Amino acid sequence: MKELNRRDFIKTTTATTAGVATIASGITLTTYAALPKESNPVTNEKRWGMLIDTNKLTESNIDDMVNACQEEHGWGDEAHSTGDQKAGWIKKVKVKDKATERISNLALMCQHCEEPPCVDVCPTNASMKREDGIVLVDRHLCIGCRYCMMACPYDARSFVHETLTDQKTHMPRGKGTVEACTMCVHKVDKGEAPACVASVASDAVIFGDLYDPTSKINQTLKKVQSTQIRADLNLNTGVRYSGI
Amino acid sequence: MSRLLIVFLSVMLSSVVAQADHHIPNLGEKATEFKDEGKEAHKRDGMSHAASLILQRKMHPELLSHKRDKTLRQGVRGGVIQLNKCVECHTSVDKNGEFIPVNAPDQFCSTCHKKVGTSLDCFSCHRTTPAEEL
Repeated sequence: MKELNRRDFIKTTTATTAGVATIASGITLTTYAALPKESNPVTNEKRWGMLIDTNKLTESNIDDMVNACQEEHGWGDEAHSTGDQKAGWIKKVKVKDKATERISNLALMCQHCEEPPCVDVCPTNASMKREDGIVLVDRHLCIGCRYCMMACPYDARSFVHETLTDQKTHMPRGKGTVEACTMCVHKVDKGEAPACVASVASDAVIFGDLYDPTSKINQTLKKVQSTQIRADLNLNTGVRYSGI
Repeated sequence: MSRLLIVFLSVMLSSVVAQADHHIPNLGEKATEFKDEGKEAHKRDGMSHAASLILQRKMHPELLSHKRDKTLRQGVRGGVIQLNKCVECHTSVDKNGEFIPVNAPDQFCSTCHKKVGTSLDCFSCHRTTPAEEL
């Protein structure tokens, strides 16, 4: 066997290392360039919320919001569902003060509670709240028991009663599962505002991060008087209203 | 002895016929184009293309359900594994130029799923053709 001296050893090792480094770096560069990156998980440093000013919000504004939501998510044209079976992710609600007879109109959707009753009652953990406060239904796990619909004080959830086709790519929907406003989570994750917020030209509906002191919603909430619907339930909703 | 030989040969022959019966599923419009251009789909780091394809065939349910939980529950978006990307490449076009649902009989998903006898539940909710704007 040939004896390996120090000089030869260093020579071969350097050559091999250099060779491997050249080839390997080439491989890494090409594969990394080809593969699209995944975004980071959301954190609880943010909490998405909405402020709806019912003094500024007109009835046609609410209709626009409903239409924008239907167009974005593709609900509302269920041919075989009747009456209460129809999906209603966002609704126009009229409230009347009995004493003063003052009528205000509001858009009512999932309030994205901090402590959502729908999540408490779900037997399969399908009803869930994301770290950033958006309440969603994981339809992979949903068994369609509709406990969450019973538990929701806002009647915000609907059940799909019929077989659907041609769903939107970003919003899968199917028979036998519960669905509700997602706060346009697919748009929020891209840094855009929800469809209903974008459909209102005035600042009657403000969307943003409730925790961020520089956000418009945070600053407005500090200034104006606002309410949560059924604040007595202590759910700490993400959707707030002013003017009611 | 010769009888044994005949039995052995017929067994060999039938296994060859059985292998020939294993036909390649309809890959779909874009995927076929991709393959014809000689590009290596589903190629993974440190794996040959053939091995990557086998991994994709065997593991796609696990990959997809892992990613679905990450996307829905943690808001992780983008990346390589996306069901809508599967649909985008593996759908075929009919004579009128319209997309055939990927789960329709003899289409990419249903071919193998029928053969191995597993039900396909993705498309009771997910869209079966590429998005409208494509």
